[in-house]
Amino acid sequence: MEETADAGAGGRADDPHSAFGFTGSWREFAPIAFSNLLLTIVTLGVYRFWATARERRYLWSRSRFVDERLEWAGTGLELFIGFVIVLLLFGGPYFIVSFGAQALIARGYEALGLALLAGSIVIIFYLAGVARFRALRYRLSRTRWRGIRGGSDDNGFVFGLSYMWKTAVGWIPAGLLIPWSMTSLWNERWNAMSFGPYRFVSKADSAPVFLRFLLFYLAPIALVVGGGIAAVMGALAGQGIGGDEGGMIGGAIGIIGMVIALYLGLGLIAVAFYAAFYREVVGKTRWHDLEFSFEARTKDWVKLLVGDVVLVVITLGIGLIFLGYRHWKFFMTHLEARGEILLDDLTQSTTATARHGEGLLDAFDMGAI
Amino acid sequence: MENEGIAVPASWYDGISAIRHEGSARWQRGELVLETVDGAITSVAPDDLTFAETQPDRIVYRRRSAPDFRLYLPRDLPPAFASHLPEGREYGGWIDRIGLGKAAIAFAAVSAAAVALFLTAPDWLGPRIPETWERNLGQAMVGDFGGRLCSTPKGDAALAKLLDRVDPGDPQVKAGIANIDMVNAVALPGAQVLLFDGLVQQAESPEELAGVLGHEVGHVRERHVMTALLRQFGFSILLSGANSGLGDTAFGLAQMGYSRDAEREADQYARARMAESEISPLGAASFFERMAEKYGDSDDTLFGWVASHPSAGERARLYRNAARENAPYPPVLTDAEFEALKTMCADDPDVEEFEFF
Repeated sequence: MEETADAGAGGRADDPHSAFGFTGSWREFAPIAFSNLLLTIVTLGVYRFWATARERRYLWSRSRFVDERLEWAGTGLELFIGFVIVLLLFGGPYFIVSFGAQALIARGYEALGLALLAGSIVIIFYLAGVARFRALRYRLSRTRWRGIRGGSDDNGFVFGLSYMWKTAVGWIPAGLLIPWSMTSLWNERWNAMSFGPYRFVSKADSAPVFLRFLLFYLAPIALVVGGGIAAVMGALAGQGIGGDEGGMIGGAIGIIGMVIALYLGLGLIAVAFYAAFYREVVGKTRWHDLEFSFEARTKDWVKLLVGDVVLVVITLGIGLIFLGYRHWKFFMTHLEARGEILLDDLTQSTTATARHGEGLLDAFDMGAI
Repeated sequence: MENEGIAVPASWYDGISAIRHEGSARWQRGELVLETVDGAITSVAPDDLTFAETQPDRIVYRRRSAPDFRLYLPRDLPPAFASHLPEGREYGGWIDRIGLGKAAIAFAAVSAAAVALFLTAPDWLGPRIPETWERNLGQAMVGDFGGRLCSTPKGDAALAKLLDRVDPGDPQVKAGIANIDMVNAVALPGAQVLLFDGLVQQAESPEELAGVLGHEVGHVRERHVMTALLRQFGFSILLSGANSGLGDTAFGLAQMGYSRDAEREADQYARARMAESEISPLGAASFFERMAEKYGDSDDTLFGWVASHPSAGERARLYRNAARENAPYPPVLTDAEFEALKTMCADDPDVEEFEFF
């Protein structure tokens, strides 16, 4: 029996021609979100691990890849155990180090105390990198599609080192190498991952996103110069209307306008950069004969983020519990794949599975993709 | 088995390849028999089967013996067929067993009790922690401050004399003058109190210093330090998931201060010791009057030593009222001793700077 699955392309959330589809609805998700919120509150946050597992179980089960739905096989208990392990392994030593550093400083060994604190910051930086790697590995290892899972045999300890030096190098030349460090780390992470018998291959390049990144440097100059001119014009116009006092008011309005424009402008550039970044990195990631693409444009990201803000504000914060749903739907709607999968060759992953969840990541509170 | 033979449509993945198997499922001799359209048969023992999740059109089951095996059965199963299947789960083990409402109430009760215990623990636990433990803890946290306490033979003698009058306990509280130019004084873990040089410099009489020293000794003797230490440690756990160390706490204490009741208790302690030792409370009263003048007589002054303390004006009145009338107090220190305290930091050749305050 030679079954093949063809992956096409499409646009809507549940477009049958798209390789990825999402069929969830917020009405169906609401009981999960609200009961999670209730249980998380009454357990002083302990339930959040089980809440995460429930939320993912729902989101994954309403996500379709080609002709079968995904399944989340992770459990709340393993996330909880991961958290406890991290607390014991790193919370304890961190406690001792900060205690020791304070004691050293109090006794007059400032340099030694500060070195100890600096050392612990470097270790946290390193572990943040390991955590990002492990979060992706964990999510792939807990995702089932047609009974097949993903994973990695890499434990992420080397990636942690790469994360440290590449991030540092990215920032050193006035931040100009940040696009390089981001794409390079994406490649390094995904090249270590596999699903079923096949590895992911990622060859993302920073050149296509670099121009957008440069906007961060050019826009503030343009905005300040433009805003300055507007402020002067405002001041002159104000003076024409109301003398010196009017001039002050006109100038102040101009400057306030400039500050607002600067914030909005930088936010917009950040969104434009991330839109380009995700199009590039997902577009250059392959899995066997399958090519991926991420179709979200800047305006889609703006709509998502403005929607998030409006939702949270008008619900006085309760909308926060729907953000995970919105972001997953956005991700599934815009993710596409093209190519052919030979189901006969698609066998179970042989990678080792992490027995306990996202402890490290949970401790540092980061997103996976 | 009575329902033997009822077959329902089923599909499954074996967890080894991605090929979907379509066929039917039926109970036969106590086992769930999965048969493909080609006649291939897989049997699953009922206790090998576990519930995974319910989807809009199907229920998903797994196998303990083959973790990636997935069986999909329709949702509208005949009751006789479904009765042998493992039960569904929604929220997690305990909650499913007793129901969401009851579980939420039970959790809320346990949580409320835990919070109450957590919030009140410092008050009843602090005074019960042996003083020797507190001394050891304080020794570990702050040690002896290296060489940053001012010390001259005459100044040390004057400070010891002052301390003897307000701290009759044994072992005595350790007192020092810190080389910091701020009007402040702190009680630290390990039965240590520090007067800052800035406070010493602005003092107009040794009775003022006796009042402040007595107050800080009061914090130690009434176990406020340990209580505040536990409280701060508790809050740091609560707020930052145990990320904030006890180390940050030693000097956090100096900033945070104590509850208003604790301040009143420390003042009462100071007044009682001063009365026993025949020290005039008028010095302390005039200190608070100057503070009230300088920072305003409000309840929430933001700066320095007076922050989180009862209003300076009220405290000045309490000290003034404690003075007995028509009976002069002997001076607590001679002019030379007071002068030795004032010049202690300037005269100490190798005192170091405090850089972390």
